[in-house]
Amino acid sequence: MPGKGYHLATWFRLAPALLGLLVFVLVGAASLAALLRFSQFESWAGYLHNIYLWRVVRFSLWQALLSSVLSLLIAVPVASCLTHRQFKGRGVLLQLFAVSMVVPTIVAILGIVVVYGHSGWLHALFGVETPLYGLLGILLAHVFFNMPLAVRLLLQSYGLVPSGQWRLASQLGFSRWTAFRLIEWSYIKKALPGAFVLIFMLCFSSFSVVLSLGGGPKSSTLEVAIYQALRFDFDLNKASFLSLLQVSICSLVALMVYRFAPANQQDVSLLDARLYPLKDSIVARSGDCLAMALAVFLVIPPFLAIFDPIFSITFYQTLMAEATWQAVWVSLKIAIPAGLLSLFLGGCFGVLARTAMDRGRLAFLSSKIEQLGSMILMVPGLVLATGLFLWLRSIGLSPQSGYWVVVWVNAVMALPFVLRALMPVLYQQEKRFRNLYTSLGIHGANRLVIEWPLIRKSVSQAFGYAVLLSLGDMGVIALFGSQGLVSLPLYLFQLIGSYRLQEGSCIAVILICLCLLLFYLSVRFIGGKTHVKY
Amino acid sequence: MLSIDLYYDWDAFHAHYQTSLAPGMTTLLGASGEGKSTLLHLLGGFLQGRGRVSFQGQALEHLLPYERPISTLFQSDNLFPQLTVWQNVAVGIAPSLSLQAEQKAKVSWALKQTQLSDKADQYPQALSGGQAQRVAIARVLVREKPILLLDEPFSALDPALREEMLALVNDVTERFDMTTLLVSHMPSEAVFVGGKVMLIEKGKIMANEEASVLSGGQIPEVFSHYLRMTTAS
Repeated sequence: MPGKGYHLATWFRLAPALLGLLVFVLVGAASLAALLRFSQFESWAGYLHNIYLWRVVRFSLWQALLSSVLSLLIAVPVASCLTHRQFKGRGVLLQLFAVSMVVPTIVAILGIVVVYGHSGWLHALFGVETPLYGLLGILLAHVFFNMPLAVRLLLQSYGLVPSGQWRLASQLGFSRWTAFRLIEWSYIKKALPGAFVLIFMLCFSSFSVVLSLGGGPKSSTLEVAIYQALRFDFDLNKASFLSLLQVSICSLVALMVYRFAPANQQDVSLLDARLYPLKDSIVARSGDCLAMALAVFLVIPPFLAIFDPIFSITFYQTLMAEATWQAVWVSLKIAIPAGLLSLFLGGCFGVLARTAMDRGRLAFLSSKIEQLGSMILMVPGLVLATGLFLWLRSIGLSPQSGYWVVVWVNAVMALPFVLRALMPVLYQQEKRFRNLYTSLGIHGANRLVIEWPLIRKSVSQAFGYAVLLSLGDMGVIALFGSQGLVSLPLYLFQLIGSYRLQEGSCIAVILICLCLLLFYLSVRFIGGKTHVKY
Repeated sequence: MLSIDLYYDWDAFHAHYQTSLAPGMTTLLGASGEGKSTLLHLLGGFLQGRGRVSFQGQALEHLLPYERPISTLFQSDNLFPQLTVWQNVAVGIAPSLSLQAEQKAKVSWALKQTQLSDKADQYPQALSGGQAQRVAIARVLVREKPILLLDEPFSALDPALREEMLALVNDVTERFDMTTLLVSHMPSEAVFVGGKVMLIEKGKIMANEEASVLSGGQIPEVFSHYLRMTTAS
């Protein structure tokens, strides 16, 4: 048993990590306190009778419910078809599904406007006039993002079906429907509640989609109402009430997420899973065709649409414009510090969690630390940002603090994803080598130096995700963006708002290229090219 | 008569199976990695090889797994854990699980034959290893396919139980005039079930004899090397 002195030394070595955690907690608490200081609680009772407010709440819930049900309804047959059928383009489609989840929201919105908008493809080709702005547009965008997510979650549970069951089904002559009923359903029904709650929550707190495609107060969500209260009315009291309402509803849903959450798994390599032939029929074939056609029709056109105006003159004029490169600079200026900060915070959380792991009475701390990092998913970024801004102003750090607020909030919002990438490998290292480290007296940063070749790949991915998320962020920057602080997504949002789609598409292409480039650089230079075997 | 003339290539492994099986028991012996399971997977249609395989004059090689007159007992995963014992047998008759009265009677009959009548409503996880394999055999009974392939399905059971299961398989084979191929790595099993015995080495069938030769005084040359290896280990 190590003595008391050992413990003291351990905690002393942890000081930097503890400091990081402390800053995270204190800034969060200060922001919340600042927000509450501007609230007049006695007036809150009045809001409870506000008809408009309840309409907003009702619409938020309603669109989230529709979005998640629709996404899942399409995803189930699509996942089944992708499991059973080999066809040309299947691999590409799976890749596209993976990509569509990380495409910056605002870029996809541009694609949807180009396809379904007033003078969009659908109108040009078939003369169909779609009432895009409103519920329909919101649903289209939410299904675009979340149906592929649902498919991938379902494919994970398909991966759990032992191949022996398919083999048996093949010999017994199961039809597709029988196989679905007897085998697949009992696996995916375990994943469905978790997937539903996750998608529901994402759609409930959706911001950019509703702001761009909602089309007015008729179809507004709480998140947008908060934005409007802050940006246009500067009504802090109302904003903090709305925020608390949002946080309470989100926490309620998040409680369910923790109950049903699908296990954190790596992607399944469905491409090399063994397939045994099942009895085919015209019904099965047409069902599959219908599901795939629907999925392809929903996902592919917006992707292509982004590149539609690439050959126009406006495209090149925009490419040369000073405003464009100004926005690129602002985006980089935000994304890279935010990524680094997020990685640093993730490192602090990781070091503390791995130290607490399997240490008797402290063991419970590791999961608590991880949850603390993920809790941020429940708090709207706008609320966090406003609180932080108010706090900074109250201690006299305005008015240039907008930039730092954006960086900090982006870093914090990316933290759950950083932790997801970082924690498994850190835990693994600790589990394998803790005793060796202890016996050799290797502590603190020395461990990281030794482990670097093994963890750099995860670190590069964590940093890549953080930068990607910050690059695509359209929430916080929409609130704090000003003349000198217009990032690519915000610029794109403004262009879509004024229906300058050709310029928008140029910005979208630049944004995508920037995302790819930074992610590649991160993986290449932080991740290294040598694959260390262990 | 089940006639086999199949080729299968995988990396450096080149198999050519050439033999024919008469109704009754045949035990296929061989060390692991010599291609026993590969043969069963080829026969079942789970692997694609070249060559031909026919049963009573009907070519099987182009048929899909469920079109072949074959039931297989695999090493594991013979049951669906999400279905009850009764349902696990019933899917052998109608995958849709909607059975007519006489089909239901047949399921009950098969469960009785395998002494599982009282387990009908239980789920596989509540069964012992021997009971689970008996459910699979009950399904073989209701499917009424003339060929039965067994891929060491009893290797995880203890010796007494293993003999009990082998006796059941033997009994079923005889009563329903099936062509049964039992893959095994234990010569004693071949002796126990009787019938024919084959030896497989590097994807080739080296011998096809009466099983009794293994227990007689004069063991053929081809088997003696393999027998020395198995007894040594």
